[in-house]
Parts: sequence; C-alpha cells; structure tokens
Amino acid sequence: MSPSRPVVLVTGAGGYLGRRLGRRFLDRGDHEVVLTVRTEAGRSALAHDLAPASARAQIVVADLGAPDPFTDVDERLRRRITHIVHAAAVTRFNVDRELARQVNVEGTGHVVTLARQCPHLVRLAHLSTVYATGLREGVILEEPDDGAAGFANAYEWSKGAAERCVVDQGDDLPWTVARVATVVADDESGRVTQHNAFHETLKLCFYGLLSLLPGRADTPLYFVTGDAVTDAVARLSDPAAPGGVYHVAPDRSATLTLEQVLDLAFTRFEQDEEFRHKRILRPLLADRESFELLVGGVSSFAGSLVHRALANVAPFARQMYVAKVLDNRRLGAALPQHRAPDPAALVTATVDHLVESRWGRRSEVVA
Amino acid sequence: MTPSFLGGLSFALGGRKLSVEESVAAGRTLSGEAELSDAGFRFHHVCTDDESAYDLALAAVGGRPDQPAGIDAIVYATCLPVNANLAPPSRFEASGDVKDLMDYPASRLQAALGLDRAIVVGVGQQACTSMLGSIRLARGLLAAEPEMERILCVSADRFPPGARYEQAYSLISDGAASCVVTRHDGDYRLVAAHHITNGAMVSAGDDETVGAYFSYTHRLVTELLAKAGRTPADLAWVVPQNTDPKAWRILARLLGLDDERVFAASLADVAHVISGDNVVNLSWLEERGVLESGDLVVLVMAGYGMNWQALLVEKT
Repeated sequence: MSPSRPVVLVTGAGGYLGRRLGRRFLDRGDHEVVLTVRTEAGRSALAHDLAPASARAQIVVADLGAPDPFTDVDERLRRRITHIVHAAAVTRFNVDRELARQVNVEGTGHVVTLARQCPHLVRLAHLSTVYATGLREGVILEEPDDGAAGFANAYEWSKGAAERCVVDQGDDLPWTVARVATVVADDESGRVTQHNAFHETLKLCFYGLLSLLPGRADTPLYFVTGDAVTDAVARLSDPAAPGGVYHVAPDRSATLTLEQVLDLAFTRFEQDEEFRHKRILRPLLADRESFELLVGGVSSFAGSLVHRALANVAPFARQMYVAKVLDNRRLGAALPQHRAPDPAALVTATVDHLVESRWGRRSEVVA
Repeated sequence: MTPSFLGGLSFALGGRKLSVEESVAAGRTLSGEAELSDAGFRFHHVCTDDESAYDLALAAVGGRPDQPAGIDAIVYATCLPVNANLAPPSRFEASGDVKDLMDYPASRLQAALGLDRAIVVGVGQQACTSMLGSIRLARGLLAAEPEMERILCVSADRFPPGARYEQAYSLISDGAASCVVTRHDGDYRLVAAHHITNGAMVSAGDDETVGAYFSYTHRLVTELLAKAGRTPADLAWVVPQNTDPKAWRILARLLGLDDERVFAASLADVAHVISGDNVVNLSWLEERGVLESGDLVVLVMAGYGMNWQALLVEKT
C-alpha cells in the first residue's frame, strides 16, 4: 500500500449503506480502504460479500457499543487515515433509547475521538437521517439542528444527538453531515435488498393486516435510492466539497404525498391476482389520536401479528403528520450533477419488486 | 321502498352467567383475564347442559311484551349451521337418514307458537350479522308480497359443548334475539339497509378479521348513509356489536361521529351475543329513555363469511 494514497475508514461496513460505500471506495481504487464491522462473524460475511475486492481492504472489528471500539485501529494506521465515513448506527425506528444512546450517540463520540487522533484527516463524513431534525415542520435548512422540535422515537433522538456530537465536539474537524432521506430501493430499477419501515408497512397492507395508517394525506415523503446516497456521500467525503450539513434528499417538488404513495402502491397491488381476490380495501388514514388509540388498544383486540405490525409502524407514526420541506440547495451546489429519480417511477418500480418477490420470500426474483 | 317498521325487541341469554375470571380459569378463552377485562368484558352467558339454541329462541319470543299474533312469516337465523337442526348428531349417525339433519327450529317455533298462517324462512351463513340480515330480508318480503303484514325475526345460537367462547378477541355469550318487522307501525321506521360480503375472506384468521374491520366497517356505514341521503352528523346513536369499545372510539373519529353517541353498554354484563348484540343494546338504550322521536340510529355488525351489515332506523 502506498503511503501517499488516501486512506478511508468506513464504519458500519456490514450495514446497508456502509457496505455500499466500502464497495464504492474499493471499486474506485484510488483509496486504501479500512472497513469496520461490529463482530467477527460480520468480518467474515463482509469479506465474502466483497470478494475478490475485499482482498484489497483491511477489515477490522469495532463495536461502537463498546467502551473503546477502535482498539484494532492501531496508531500507525490512525496516522495514515485521511477520510472517515461514519455509517455505523442502529437504524431501527423501534430501537430502545439505551441501545440508541450507546451505539448512535456514544458511538459517534468514539468516532469523533478517533478522528482527532488522525493528524492527516481531511474529511469526517457522518451519515445521518432527515429525521434527525425530529418533528420540525416547514422549511428545514442544511444546518445544525438544536432538537427543540422533539422526536418521534429514540432512533431520531439518537441521530439528532449524534449530529450535535459531531458539530459540537468536532468543531475543529473537517466534518460533513449527510442527512439521508428514506432509502426505498437499491436503484431506480426498484430492486430492494434491505427492508425498512416503508417496505414493512406496505407488506402489512398487502396482506390485509393493517387497514388504518397514521398520517395526513398531504404529508410529503422523501425517497432516495441506495445508489444515489452512496454516490452523494462518497462525493461529499471528498474535501473538494465544502463541509457542513447536506440533505441527501430530493427537493419538495420531487416528492410524493402519503396519499399519492398509497395510490401508486395499491394500484400495483390490485394488479396482483392473489391480492385482488382477497378484496382488501385501501387503508384509511387515521388522525393521530385515532392511531394512538389503535396502538394503545391493540393488546385487547388484536393478536400477535397485528401487534408486530403496529410495532413496526407506531414508532414513526408521528412523522406522518409532519410536513417537512427539506432545503437541499447546498447539496445542489456541491453536487450539481446529483439528480433525484422520478418519485412515481421509483415507487412503482419498488412496489412492483416487492409484490413480485413477495417481500423477498420468492428468492428467484430477488436474486 | 315500501314503508316498514321494527318493534317488539326481545332477547334471552344462556342460563349460566359466568365471570371472565371463571371462564379464563376454565379454559373457555384464548385471551387472559387482563386482556378481556381491558376490552370491557366482565361476564358472559353460557347455556346449561340441557339448554338448546331453540330453547333460547322460544324464551326470546315468549318474553316479548306483545305475543306474536298475526305473524305472516318467521325468519329464523342461526350463525352456526349446527343450530339449524335440533336433532342430536347421534340420531343421524345411528339412522343414516338425512331427515335427521332437518329437524328445523323454525318449523318447531311456528308449531309451538301456533302461528299457522306463517311461512318459515331459515337464514344462515351470515354469522354475527344474521339478525340484521333477517330484518333486511323481512323488509324485502314486505315489499315483494303485499299480503304480508308482520314478520317475526329470530336469531338463536349456542356454542356446542367444548367450544371456545372467544372469537376475534371478543368474549361470546349464547343467546337469542327477536323482533317484529311490520308494514304499518313499530317503534322504529326502517330507513335503509346495507350489506357487504367478501367471500374471499371466509377463512380469514383473527388478525385478518381485525385488519379488515376498520376499513370495511367504515365503508359499510358510509355507503349506508349515502343510500339514505344522510351524513354521520344526522345520527343520534350508533348501536354496534359488543366488541372492545376502543374499536368504535376509533371508528367514530374516522366517521366524524361523537363517540358518546356509540351505545354498547351491555358489553360488560352480556358480552358478544353472537348476532343478538344490536337487539340487546337497542333494548338497553330504550330502557334508558333517551331515544326521541325522529332520532336516527344505525345498527352495525361484522361477522365471519366475511359479512358486514348495517341498518338505519328512525325512532317513531
């Protein structure tokens, strides 16, 4: 490895975006790549997944929930690291607060500490979420948020706190915060390899387990692809791009409302013979109190399937009543070539893939 | 539509009144005491060993304040097909004669009450909605056959021995209900009826049943009111089935109704009386003396099949 080559360390390389970013830097071939994973098993899995390119990567175990996670990143290596891309996080909306604090908040603190020990660091890129601004409504600028609007769940709270950790503790570091919108597909083909609350909610609707959804019909939803996020974060990690906060999200004009997304999804569902046969009605959009009544009452009038269904939906329910207008002019200026996909085409392709693959159960479609 | 009216509400319950605790302890439920209590259930009524669904029907009709004189038809509904044949299964097993599968309770009721002029019609396969379905059919009979004046509607069910007394998270009571649909007078004018069936969900599990409950019930009531040219704001009362009140608190909000107008006060004492809930709750509402002439009341029921039925009635 040439000492003159930049060295990028990607945390959370076993996760969805971390793995994509690791692969991206390996494919470019102009970086020495260090990938961190949470466990030994994760190291083997990642090496297998990235092979043969993984031979060119150094994969180390670093559990961000541990008190001193970067013991395997020795001092020699720290002196050579030029870029840190911090993608490790617990991203479940229903994560409990303690785990979210340990991994997402304190873990980010460990990354900032590591960054301080890298004298040649030119970029610390922190992957965040548009929901790190919590329940803030209206125009949201690409700038640090104080968290004053409150949060819908512990995940959002932890990502907001992690951002403030980077901004406050890393004020002398070359930091960038990339607030990522909801990743609905790997790319514009609609292929989905990792499910999140968006996919799980549609699944519940498809199987007729949820006829009430939280939200207002006109709430805008910001969708991106894994490819687009990977490209944007990789470019924002280049010190040629100014530091600061970015919204890796389409602007409001390239979003769909909740009602439009449901219309597109159910239009596709209704083309499926099995779904059509069951005559499952489109879900009703419930006001916040009605949905909270449902969640609160579910223990007495529903069983384990509905319980699990609501456990997936309930933690982000409050966001479905929050109309965010994400300003992304900084992203546009830094990455003028970055283009948001057509949202209707993306949702249609994604739902098509989900239905055809039965949410991944029909492996031949997924493969 | 030919004017028609509803009156003579009556009901009878299984002879053993059991507490939730007793039935949970006896293994009659799937849910625990805490879940059923949280859903508002306190007691339910189970037939004694020698009590049949037909006995309940006879008790319900016999308990009416006015005897069913001058009845032109009996519409007799059962939720469970087993309750439409009074002969014990052993009789057919021994004889192999299918007439032992046709010991009809409606015929026996006609004979027992001496309603010689009445024809009998059996209604089945509508589950918990079968009383509302019977009233709807009676209304149709009055419209189709001008010589008919009064039709007795009866629904009666008891669960067979060994059955679990819980369905879709509701505690069940054995019971019967009756009412009379007439051409000229009654306590309520029948304004509109609506029925949705989704046969593809006939084998739906409890979670799918709950999953469909809100959207289908919302559609049912919305379409019923549209038929009648009314809006939710016109409703004085909603008389639903005895299920967790939280479900109707949610539905009331979705429909734009005041949930204090949803009346299912019998739930704690009576539980879910299969297809008799609307009759039981409307009777309780009458007893409270709060109904006024001109009040619009919607009776709503969901049942397996899947069926959703609702009636819109106006207090006379």
